[in-house]
Amino acid sequence: MAVVALAGIVFLSASPTVRLSGQLSPRDSAVHALNRLAYGPRPGDVDRVARGGVMRWIDEQLAPERIDDPALATRERQFDLLNYSREDLARLYLDAQRARRERQQAQRADSMMSPPADQAEQTPEGLRARRLAGQLQELAVVRAAVGERQLQEVMVDFWTNHFNVFLGKGADRFLMPSYVQETIRPRVLGKFADLLIATARSPAMMFYLDNWESVTPGSRPPSPAFPLSAMRRGGQGVRFPRDPMRADSLRRRAEQRMPQGINENYARELMELHTLGVDGGYSQRDVIEVARIFTGWSIAPPPRGGGFEFHDWAHDRGAKTVLGVAFPAGHGEDEALRLLTLLASSPATMHHVSRRLCARFVADDPPDGCVDAAVAAWQRTGGDIREVLRAIFHSPDFWAAQNVRAKVKTPLEFVVSAVRAVRADPDTTARLAQVVARLGEPLYLHVAPDGYPERQEDWLNSGALLARMNAAVAIAAGRLPGAAVDLDSLVPATADRDALVAAVNEAILAGTMSEHTKTVIRDQLSDISDPRQARALAIGLALGGPDFQRQ
Amino acid sequence: MTITRRVFVKSGGLALFSLGFDPLFLGRAAYSAIRPTVRPSDRPTLVCLFQRGAVDGLNMIVPHGEELYYRERPRIAVPRGQVVDLDGHFGLHPALAALKPLWDNKSLAAVHAVGSPDSTRSHFDAQDYMESGTPGLKATPDGWLNRYCRHDQEHADTPFRAVAFGPQLPRILAGSAPTLAIDDLQAFGLRVPQEAARDRLTRAFEALYQGATTGLLASSSQEGFDAVQQLKQANPTQYQPANGADYPRGRLGRGFLQIAQLIKADVGVQIAFLDGTGWDTHVNQGSSEGQLAARLKDLGDSLAAFATDLGEKMRDVVVLTMSEFGRTIHENGNIGTDHGHATAMFALGGPVNGGKVLGRWPGLDPANRFEGRDLAVTTDFRDLFGEILARHLGTRDLAAVFPGFAPDPARFPGAIKA
Repeated sequence: MAVVALAGIVFLSASPTVRLSGQLSPRDSAVHALNRLAYGPRPGDVDRVARGGVMRWIDEQLAPERIDDPALATRERQFDLLNYSREDLARLYLDAQRARRERQQAQRADSMMSPPADQAEQTPEGLRARRLAGQLQELAVVRAAVGERQLQEVMVDFWTNHFNVFLGKGADRFLMPSYVQETIRPRVLGKFADLLIATARSPAMMFYLDNWESVTPGSRPPSPAFPLSAMRRGGQGVRFPRDPMRADSLRRRAEQRMPQGINENYARELMELHTLGVDGGYSQRDVIEVARIFTGWSIAPPPRGGGFEFHDWAHDRGAKTVLGVAFPAGHGEDEALRLLTLLASSPATMHHVSRRLCARFVADDPPDGCVDAAVAAWQRTGGDIREVLRAIFHSPDFWAAQNVRAKVKTPLEFVVSAVRAVRADPDTTARLAQVVARLGEPLYLHVAPDGYPERQEDWLNSGALLARMNAAVAIAAGRLPGAAVDLDSLVPATADRDALVAAVNEAILAGTMSEHTKTVIRDQLSDISDPRQARALAIGLALGGPDFQRQ
Repeated sequence: MTITRRVFVKSGGLALFSLGFDPLFLGRAAYSAIRPTVRPSDRPTLVCLFQRGAVDGLNMIVPHGEELYYRERPRIAVPRGQVVDLDGHFGLHPALAALKPLWDNKSLAAVHAVGSPDSTRSHFDAQDYMESGTPGLKATPDGWLNRYCRHDQEHADTPFRAVAFGPQLPRILAGSAPTLAIDDLQAFGLRVPQEAARDRLTRAFEALYQGATTGLLASSSQEGFDAVQQLKQANPTQYQPANGADYPRGRLGRGFLQIAQLIKADVGVQIAFLDGTGWDTHVNQGSSEGQLAARLKDLGDSLAAFATDLGEKMRDVVVLTMSEFGRTIHENGNIGTDHGHATAMFALGGPVNGGKVLGRWPGLDPANRFEGRDLAVTTDFRDLFGEILARHLGTRDLAAVFPGFAPDPARFPGAIKA
């Protein structure tokens, strides 16, 4: 152990340029770092990073709070989504639910037939909600494309997948903006335990994995004014009609819909996905005990803001045992915090999460070396994500030749890196996010709690590649939906084929175009006399070809 | 007309990602026979549908003859009067009523209490095992449908032999045998209106990818180009479902429609795969109506439309449904069900030994439950899958498809007519 730690210190203090010599050139290291810690280089980035020193750039990216980004701030102001507080969204949720109910009632009265669900959504409030959801997706793409704090954006994507919530599930459409903005974003480089606790307490996660309705059997809320089950219908509480017969049957129905016991959903995914990993040594018994610990962790009704609320009455105050650790009887909200802290510092969690980070930054099947380095940093710093990442970026595996350009871009990475490569200027419509969606990765819309996959075989298939080629061809023709492209400032049109291929190589692929790609593009240009058309073809083939799919 | 490259570029060959643009050659698909060597009647087809999220088998094929079923599920059981009775003990959920005629004509069978010998209640591990075909073994690199394709080379001559409908290639088809992933038949291929221009661009990309060193990049693209090439030869006509078949709108109905389209196009589909989500009913799943009912209606109506549409061709087709595990016998605190163990699966088609609920029924008695709480597995899913491979597709070497497990004909549930 001491030897490992010592080696780590020596390693960190060694000059990176010395270490990298003989392996990657400063320019190649810059390309690699920009591909992994950022969404690919923009024209000029590689030289800038190489000149200033790649390790210094990495250190800068690890301290995003010190990076000034007025351009992004200006851009963010165009998204009125960011002006909505959680309370505003809760209000919008209520309005949308009410409008929907009124529309349904009116239509039922009109036609004696229940209207199709999609028609009931077509209220002004419903459309506003939908537009905000589109903005949320687009904002992620825009931040990734134009933001200077690139590593932070990469980590936002990583953690929103690690702690995945499905935007399409009921109230989550309204809970998601604050989940991204307030739960995830401020904590992406902080302590893992803080992030874990924040997600556990987030209404978005509690709604998605059903914990808000998990109660100890036999428990009843003290006041009938806001039974939990009324929340699904807009949190208006139950208004019983005057007719006593109907009132009775409605009360019975409301009673029936009351949560009557625990729900294991969150407890299981918390251990399987968020912390220990599926082989982390927990049992079905542990799942049930964890679910008991989380009973009462719930959501305030929307009229009260829709934030976190602990329901003492729903909490199981009995004794529990999780992974052999005793949780004595008589505790309330605090015991779940104790459990989360315990899970966050478990060796299984350190390994599981470190491995996922390495799969993202190093290789789909990460070598043990970088995982061990990450775990060591985790232990040393009490789960400080910034230091875990620093250890990964300093590990020899990160820079090893076999791991350079060894990962395939996800659809988000492909679209954003293409936008950056051609210096496209995205607008605030949801169209660019729709391109990402069509390539297979609609943001915040992965249904299952495991989040989008990281492995190349999950993204590479015949249909997906054709879709990427189509997108590439559109970008090169200046017809990327939702973003303006100025090819003239990127690659001057020229009749000289060699000069064109060289310019495209430099602009799009930062000089890493393979000989094969160069040859094929040059061949394809042989009988095109219009320089602008030649340029569009060359850029389309470069973006849609195999070189650009890798990072 | 000779289209010069200049015309190609000028005509917007590089510029047709426009969203409203109606593409092209493929959606109208391939209706005339293409390869005389591949006659559809020689080619049994297997269509697999994965119900991701663990379907509640007990509310899909309801054991309405069991008092315990009603006692364990006071709020979500399907009332006896509403079950579509099958044999006095089991019945279909009423939302599956469209399947009853197929039951009656003996082309639909259900297998109950089927599942994995592995005890995991993780969706992801259980799906992984059902797709790799190796429960308990995570290191298996490929899926069992792909291994089948690799070991049975008889029909390896068409890019359409194994097709998954969706944006991603599922684990079950991953592996070294060529497979296709098609998200939307209407949009499969390069979106360039003029055929010559499209061909030219396709060739250019093909040349680019032929030089790709990465195996997956090279093979995936080659499979795509081959398929595009073959579909190009097809006679483009607008597809109309036959016999008045009415597919539900939505992803599942659309997926089945496209599979029917490909099967009728005689391009040599032997394996088709699609999946759907929404089966993870932890909360408020409903009984004869509600969330699960809506999903089941989509399923039943899609299957029924598919059978209607294919008509006579169903004699060579088997549709198999599967799901990673079942759900708790006891309803949970939120009028839903948590992760359980055994579930139920359907087999539909001409070769199916229909009109029966197959498999040994373990009952709901607590003494016979798995880990004291869930429906026990009495049919290993590999025995069902293996039977279909052996008796429908004619696989001779099942051990190669399910390594470490020798499906035993004595244990086959009897889903395929002898």
